[in-house]
Amino acid sequence: MSPVSIPHKSNARPAPPAQTSKTFDSLYREHVDLMYRFANRLCGETEAAKDLVQETFLNAYRGFKDFRGDAQVSTWLYTIASRACLRMRRRRKGEPERELSLNEFIPTSEGEFRLQIPVEGLSPEEALQNKELRQALDDAINKLPQKYKMVLVLRDMEGLSAKEVGTIMGLNERAVKSRLHRARLFVRRELSARGVTESVHAQERLSQE
Amino acid sequence: MTKRSASQRHAHSASTAHAHGRKRCLRVLRALSAFIDDELPDDVCIEIRRHLGDCPNCEDFVVSLRQTVALCRHRIAPTLSSADRARMREEILQTAGSR
Repeated sequence: MSPVSIPHKSNARPAPPAQTSKTFDSLYREHVDLMYRFANRLCGETEAAKDLVQETFLNAYRGFKDFRGDAQVSTWLYTIASRACLRMRRRRKGEPERELSLNEFIPTSEGEFRLQIPVEGLSPEEALQNKELRQALDDAINKLPQKYKMVLVLRDMEGLSAKEVGTIMGLNERAVKSRLHRARLFVRRELSARGVTESVHAQERLSQE
Repeated sequence: MTKRSASQRHAHSASTAHAHGRKRCLRVLRALSAFIDDELPDDVCIEIRRHLGDCPNCEDFVVSLRQTVALCRHRIAPTLSSADRARMREEILQTAGSR
């Protein structure tokens, strides 16, 4: 990801409108797709994702002067988006976030150790051609409490390191790994509890041939 | 992804599953993300692999966790249309100018 020329805090001064607009254009052009992908994964639906992207870039526009060039621009934007997402969520519903405990993920019956979805012998890309499986996976991720979902999305879907996720969320690496583990166990349990049939997949493959 | 026949699985499962006690299974379960992310020291990995060899349920569990992570990594998100990209840019600049 290429760094964008952003004024450093030490010599921050209100930029002339033309300069701000040009810098913003380059920031927007280079990162809007990344932020939209991230927002979609966090929000789980496109309209909310668009709202989040707009909120993110609006905050970024205003925050140019505070951006310290020592972080990657993408990390800075991920941080703004994550905070905006938490704010927007709080505005929508005020209930406190549920904590996930490791004990709730211990299987209690024989069938819960494996996923009840057709993945055997398939690559992840092939398995995800199954619409029902994609829906089950999305549902599982969307059911996660937000602070766990954010870690899972940043680490396992956006592919950031635990250190980067820690920087974005203001957590140490240990806390990131602990949340990630619980989030993965949660999604795994959802996929082991919900049956997805092979037949849908077979039909889809046939229709593509 | 590990494959075993149903009869093999059943025979092995009935004779040894959790015969060594649940405590070890719980210890392994706590470390599984670090295990699949290759973050553990060699001696701990060897201990976990030995346990997985003895405990079909835990082996199934680790396979299913790897599958879960692989599915997350390969889940493609929708992309923005050029029209939406341009419209959103305009709205952001308008809002920034009006506030």
